[in-house]
Amino acid sequence: MEVFVTFLLNLIYISATLALIALGLAMVFGLLGVMNMAHGEFVMLGAYSVYVVQLAGQHFLWAIPVAIVICVMVGWLMEWLVVRHLYSRPFDTLLATWGVAILIRKGVEVIFTRDYKSVNQVMPGTIDLLGVSYPAYRLLLVALIIVLFVALFTWYQKSKAGLKIRAMVQGPELAAAVGIDTARLSRLTFIIGVSTAGLAGVLLAPLVRVEPYIGLDYLMSSFFILIVGGLGTLEGLLIGSTVIGGTDAIVSTVFDKTAGYMSVLLISILFLWLRPDGIFYRR
Amino acid sequence: MDRTILEVQNLSGGYGDLIIVRNISLSVYNGNTVSITGRNGVGKTTLMRLISGSLPLTSGKVNFLGNSIAEVPEHKRFNLGMSYAPQERIVFDNLSVKDNLTLHYLETDLDRYSNLFENFPRLRERLGQRAGTLSGGEKKLLSFTRAIAEPSNLVLLDEPTEGVQSDNIELMAQVICSQKSQGRGFLVVDQNLTFLESITDTIHLLDHGEQVYKTDNKRFRGEIETRISI
Repeated sequence: MEVFVTFLLNLIYISATLALIALGLAMVFGLLGVMNMAHGEFVMLGAYSVYVVQLAGQHFLWAIPVAIVICVMVGWLMEWLVVRHLYSRPFDTLLATWGVAILIRKGVEVIFTRDYKSVNQVMPGTIDLLGVSYPAYRLLLVALIIVLFVALFTWYQKSKAGLKIRAMVQGPELAAAVGIDTARLSRLTFIIGVSTAGLAGVLLAPLVRVEPYIGLDYLMSSFFILIVGGLGTLEGLLIGSTVIGGTDAIVSTVFDKTAGYMSVLLISILFLWLRPDGIFYRR
Repeated sequence: MDRTILEVQNLSGGYGDLIIVRNISLSVYNGNTVSITGRNGVGKTTLMRLISGSLPLTSGKVNFLGNSIAEVPEHKRFNLGMSYAPQERIVFDNLSVKDNLTLHYLETDLDRYSNLFENFPRLRERLGQRAGTLSGGEKKLLSFTRAIAEPSNLVLLDEPTEGVQSDNIELMAQVICSQKSQGRGFLVVDQNLTFLESITDTIHLLDHGEQVYKTDNKRFRGEIETRISI
């Protein structure tokens, strides 16, 4: 029983963090058609924000506004310089954003070197839940992710800006004809997407190694989630995260980490082959 | 008072290097309807997209209320007072009928539509429905209603009657005529000559992207029919 509860909590924790990491990539690709290869780098920038804030002796929570400011600035610059010229050219965005990714990685490497940085635990200790003691920070993280998803989804469905984004995604020309500034709205969507990645980086920093190349892992796992779950729906994102996270958790527990990674790769290849649109897809 | 709302001079343009429309000039005065007709594929829709700003001009001038708008992006033309109901992708299918009518305003009430709903009660009945579930003709009515209710000086209508029932076409013509009497200008592309005769002050006939005939005569049906059938 206890083993089962621990496994279940692990599964929820892994799926939730994966969903948070993939959220920005799914938003930017699903809504704007831009394959942002620099997505993982924004997660990395978020993690480094925590390092810098702690280095300055400030509280962990300060890292959230710091990361958001950095991601908004870098995202704005990236959209303005590169991405906005390439909307509706998916392959070109892939190459161009990959270039930006290298630039960000190398920039961070110049400032902070390639060494691993350690980030202090923010909330050590465990909480007893259903007869198991589970790390408190992980539980907090899951709660925060649920709140963030509900907030973002509600905003998208209920707010005027969300309505305009949905209109723009469906008919960019008609949207412009009724006075919607599609260029500005696309920029806003892009910036929100990369900011969620930065936020993911902040929240995950205490649990992972922090170094300039972590973005690559996050980009890969986000890709796998979108391949399995399908693009453009929240259900797809959550299901994809659960499938990928669940497989990884089960296989890693039974065998080892490498087998877990291989199984994820295998599932993604199977999906690309047999069901390229994913489990859920938007028509 | 004949004030010029829209003045198009020697306009040419198309898609990239492919020039579709050549050397078109026309003027819309307030309280007037200028119509454009012609066979399928002669560049009527391209001309409308050039004027609305969804395509960039290759050459020529477009002046709106006395100012050149060649460099003004499409969404700002809406704010200047230009309404546009395109020929295709005319409504947001995934949004409700109500959202289609209100998303571009700050307030979400439907007061501005009350008169139009009297004419087209079908739309009011379907406010909560997704616009994608409407028939082609109903979508045209929704698009027409949306454009007419906008606080604009000029309304561009591209094939507004396509797929619309004949009694609703008559109602559309009545709405346009009453709006004209309040000083609004209309630029209408259509192939329904009966509809056009009931609203038009000046008509241009296009062929192969060029203007081949123009008349201010209100009884143009016979003349246009002969010229089209040649």
